[in-house]
Amino acid sequence: MSDADAPIAVIGIGNILLGDDGFGPYVVELLRAQWAFPDSVTLLDAGTPGLDLVTYLHGRKVAILIDTVTATGAPGALRLYRNADLAHLAPQARVSPHDPVVHEALQIAALAGDDPQVLLVGVIPLSTELGVGLSDTVRAAAAAASTVVVDELMACGVAPMLRREPMAADAWWIQA
Amino acid sequence: MARITIDPITRIEGHLRIDAVVDGGEVQKAWASCSMWRGIETILRGRDPREAWLFTQRFCGVCTTVHAMASVRAVEDALSLEVPLNAQYIRNLILIAHALHDHIVHFYHLSALDFVDVTTIPKADAAKAASIAQSLSDWPRNSRQEMERVQQKIVGLVQSGQLGIFTNGYWGHPAMKLSPEVNLLAVAHYLQALEFQRKATQVVGILGGKSPHIQNLAVGGVVNAINLNNPATLNMDRLYMIKDLLDEVIPFVQQVYFPDCCAVAGFYPEWFGYGAGVKNYLAVPDLPLDTASTTFDIPGGIIMDGDLAAVRRVSGARDEAFRKGVVEDVTHGWYEGKGPQHPWQGETIPDYTDFQDDGKYSWVKAPRFEGKPMQVGPLASVLVGYAQQHEGTVKWTNQALQRVAAIAQRPVTPDLLHSTMGRYGARAIRAAMLSDLAVRHWELLVNNVLKGDTDIFNPPNFPKGRIEGVGLHEAPRGTLSHWVVIDNGVLANYQAVVPTTWNASPRDEHDIPGPYEAALLKNPVADAEKPLEILRTVHSFDPCLACACHTLDVEGRRIATVKVL
Repeated sequence: MSDADAPIAVIGIGNILLGDDGFGPYVVELLRAQWAFPDSVTLLDAGTPGLDLVTYLHGRKVAILIDTVTATGAPGALRLYRNADLAHLAPQARVSPHDPVVHEALQIAALAGDDPQVLLVGVIPLSTELGVGLSDTVRAAAAAASTVVVDELMACGVAPMLRREPMAADAWWIQA
Repeated sequence: MARITIDPITRIEGHLRIDAVVDGGEVQKAWASCSMWRGIETILRGRDPREAWLFTQRFCGVCTTVHAMASVRAVEDALSLEVPLNAQYIRNLILIAHALHDHIVHFYHLSALDFVDVTTIPKADAAKAASIAQSLSDWPRNSRQEMERVQQKIVGLVQSGQLGIFTNGYWGHPAMKLSPEVNLLAVAHYLQALEFQRKATQVVGILGGKSPHIQNLAVGGVVNAINLNNPATLNMDRLYMIKDLLDEVIPFVQQVYFPDCCAVAGFYPEWFGYGAGVKNYLAVPDLPLDTASTTFDIPGGIIMDGDLAAVRRVSGARDEAFRKGVVEDVTHGWYEGKGPQHPWQGETIPDYTDFQDDGKYSWVKAPRFEGKPMQVGPLASVLVGYAQQHEGTVKWTNQALQRVAAIAQRPVTPDLLHSTMGRYGARAIRAAMLSDLAVRHWELLVNNVLKGDTDIFNPPNFPKGRIEGVGLHEAPRGTLSHWVVIDNGVLANYQAVVPTTWNASPRDEHDIPGPYEAALLKNPVADAEKPLEILRTVHSFDPCLACACHTLDVEGRRIATVKVL
């Protein structure tokens, strides 16, 4: 089974060059380092895909997205959203291809017949200023976020295996 | 008089803001501003030049491959390092596939809805829509059944009251002119386009190892091991997977996107009359055909004041006029500095004021070539190619002009391309032309491999001392240049002059506006509360402000504000 065909995708979203915005990609690397996943699950560091997220949602039954969110709360707090929580958000004027954000990509995917069950694991960032690496506050939330992802996979009937010898997350952009 | 501010995201960085003063139904003055603080080079200074591309491909989540490619080319230029032919062809195929993906998405998913009113679709006659579509091309998926299927989908959305992705369009706007049937066929193709842009991305993924962040580049070539007898390397099976995908994507571009774009242009001929703006054009040559990158499959050049007859050739990264001519001005940018600076000397020291109409108002620097603002993008590339009688460009441009003229029922000449609609048309022309070149570069690669050449990489050696280089790429949004300074094998400076910086440039030290700002002058605006026409011109440039922070706003946001002055 190739990555593109896996029915379940865990997708980290965010820009690793913008501080805590790199949370999604970091959690994906943390998951890869600590867990072994069956072929039905693909893990993807999607960066900031804009509309291209539609492509990575194609053919999925389940999509677990990890992203930073603008929401009320303390930095480092996790917020979980499901399809219904995102559906009410209206699309905004499109100016650049970055603008279609997660809920819009979901709406376009739905129009094309891809309607995965979605869990968005969001973290409230401390700083998204230019720079590589997460703030300590947000980095501390990565383990909890990875647990949420693993629990969700188990609820979907998938059993990731904890690696006997977990590796360090391959967050190459942080290791200078 | 009204002041319109279009600022889709109001509280986070990384986005384009357009301000326009509207009076008498048209724009009198415009400002393009980006709220993105640009200083990515601060991350790169001190790093290994061989790794720069891994970081630069993160500048922008949409244009990942283009920043990777410009970066390795810049370091190779600094080292005078040649690249094996296989590596050139593999890179060229990636660049073409990426461009096809990007142009398809721009037309259907990012801009068509500025011209297509989805809410009229329930009224359409599906059989008539199919017959119009069939009159435009031989594409097999233009049947009445297909149109009916799509119509039912849209009727379902409208009846449910949940328009989904089509919420918040400027529906019913007086500037929307297509018949319900044409709107229906456009939305049918909008959905098909999702499939074909994905196939183009698969080509990038096969050659690049991964998508969206390719893994196969190296300063000096690529890391795609070639062995026709090894299932794990680039072999005939993989090459034919690529060919099969191209054989699906190319007909979509040439039989659907190209005719659709010409049809929209033919139904909206008035948009050839707006949006010329800056008629200085810059394009760089691309798709290198030799190891030293001195001959190319698409030409570069400079056109000043719209004078195609006086086109000047840009020969490549070693073109002295190009290397010397590019400067960036920060008079109206939120940066410290006096006077224009060459990118190798470029500094990025923030100096934020506030949005000042006559002072500093953007995080974008103002790039200038020989002191002039330049328009970059597919239109520049097409005009520069047309002016130099580039075969593929001439062929597809003439075909486009004929198609538009037949629908608009009026003569359409190349000078009409200096316009908002010209930019849409040029993108389709370029996509059709690149489609032909995709096949050519696939054949070049296969034939070279069959000759027994499996070279993919020349190792870089970094000298002591200081070296400078520039990497060029004619990206989907236009001329991209990465400028590097390497000191004893370590990056000492890094500046990326990106296409949107040229086009979204603020005014310069002489108060000369940039291409967006100039193009918006006299742009019609029927209803200041619904500035659809401004979006048409802005979207025609395909804006992409790199390294946007895209924190998802789960609490909603506003789109445009209008203030009566």
